[in-house]
Amino acid sequence: MNSLSAYSASVADWRKQLRINERRTKIVIGLFILIYSAVGMLIDLYLHSGPVYTQVGLINVPLSETFTNLITFKIIPWATLIMGGVAAVSIFITFSLHDKLMLLGTEYHEVTANSARSLEEQQLYNVVEEMKTAAGLRYMPRVFIIEANYMNAFASGYSEKSALVAITRGLMQKLNRSELQAVMAHELNHIRHHDIKLTLMASVLSNLMLMAIDMLFYGVVFGGGRRRDNRLVAVIVILRFLLPLLTVILLLYLSRTREYMADAGAVELTRDNTPLANALLKIRGDHEQHKETYGEEYLTTPHEDVRRAAYIFDPIQAGIEPIKSLTNLFSTHPSIQDRLKALGFTLRS
Amino acid sequence: MTVLTVIIIALVIIGLWFIAIYNKLIRMIEAVNNNKKQIDVQLDRRYKVYESLIEVVKKYMDYERTTLKEVVALRSKAQQAAASGNEKERMEAEDAISKIGAGLNLVFERYPDLKADKNALQLQEEIVNTENKLTFSKQAYNDSIEKYEATRKSFFESMVVSLFSGKLLKEFIYWGITEEQRAQQEQYKVKM
Repeated sequence: MNSLSAYSASVADWRKQLRINERRTKIVIGLFILIYSAVGMLIDLYLHSGPVYTQVGLINVPLSETFTNLITFKIIPWATLIMGGVAAVSIFITFSLHDKLMLLGTEYHEVTANSARSLEEQQLYNVVEEMKTAAGLRYMPRVFIIEANYMNAFASGYSEKSALVAITRGLMQKLNRSELQAVMAHELNHIRHHDIKLTLMASVLSNLMLMAIDMLFYGVVFGGGRRRDNRLVAVIVILRFLLPLLTVILLLYLSRTREYMADAGAVELTRDNTPLANALLKIRGDHEQHKETYGEEYLTTPHEDVRRAAYIFDPIQAGIEPIKSLTNLFSTHPSIQDRLKALGFTLRS
Repeated sequence: MTVLTVIIIALVIIGLWFIAIYNKLIRMIEAVNNNKKQIDVQLDRRYKVYESLIEVVKKYMDYERTTLKEVVALRSKAQQAAASGNEKERMEAEDAISKIGAGLNLVFERYPDLKADKNALQLQEEIVNTENKLTFSKQAYNDSIEKYEATRKSFFESMVVSLFSGKLLKEFIYWGITEEQRAQQEQYKVKM
């Protein structure tokens, strides 16, 4: 299971993988923006529904008419507009704070061309530089080593300029040069494909819309006042319980899609699918072998939840829970089996 | 009136779209140009790295070779002196060896990376790194040509290209090896 000899190998079609997942991303992001605006629209509808005082007296405007009025800007949809503004500001703030968050709680140090302490560190820096050349990135990302025994790595940064890659000492020591190169190629692809931007944007949007629907829900429950349209109330109550589930599913789908893309991109850069496949199997095998000690290490490292989705390997897949949370039911990453299949390695039955 | 507005809006959209395609192709052409220069940068780097490597290693190797000879000579001298009972000469020879040892240590201090077999590993890593960078820059060059060619030949884009062929139509040649070289490389076998 943890050796490539159990798999039948074929050529990885990275062009196709990139294309498929690019399309999936567009759909997911489109859905996010659509749902977000729909929630805003719902608030507007709620605010403008019910009997309205006009010159001719109290009249009941039907929902469909209010909706058309909002869409055509006859009534300005203030809630939707304000929600859009709030989203823009929150996304901007998250972007500017994010880089400093990612290394939080770990013991780390930076590696540069001149400050490498050992041949291993020099090799790590060289490998990143090589992949940067292959990817045609304009800026060299900063390279960090995290002092931890478990094998993992992640990339961060909302732009090429501020990008960083971090790798645990365990990973650096247990992989050979070409495997290390494949892993770093995977991480550089997260930077090149702007994955950090995308996933952050999606998670900010989903948090905001959950907050909005919550506020609306409590407004309906405790608000009283004017009589509202019953259909509207029903939709709000249903969404209050359905939306959290939907956003989790969408976020996980997005995250998995981007993992596939980074894997395919690693093959594009190294023109070889074997090293990445080997590295993934090694990382999983190592996690399974040291399940107890690594579980302890993940748990005692603070703020592990910030990094979880960004890691190359989700520790949950080895049965390690870095944080106690409901989302542990689902992994942010496709299974190693599926990732290997996309790389061109199918498990022999 | 409304028909006119619709036509104007449609024209504006088409115009913006043409501009977008034009700009995209220009970006791609410049990426290819830059990637080609990147190969030169890496070739230049390789030359410089190898020059300095050879210098360092030559110095080190020469030093080692001559010191090794010296040490061997002094050692036999000391052994001979010990056999013939000449204590003074023996001590002198041993002292000379320790001095060489101290000098060697100094060299090691100055070049901590050159210690023992690490020397060879370091050298190997530097060579692999340099060659890889060169190869990857060639690959990046070819990849950018692929992207440009695929875009300029696809539908709609090709129409824009034919309108501004002076600016947008470039002939790039993929980096490759000559037919003779290929034949030669294919026949290549490792001789031990």
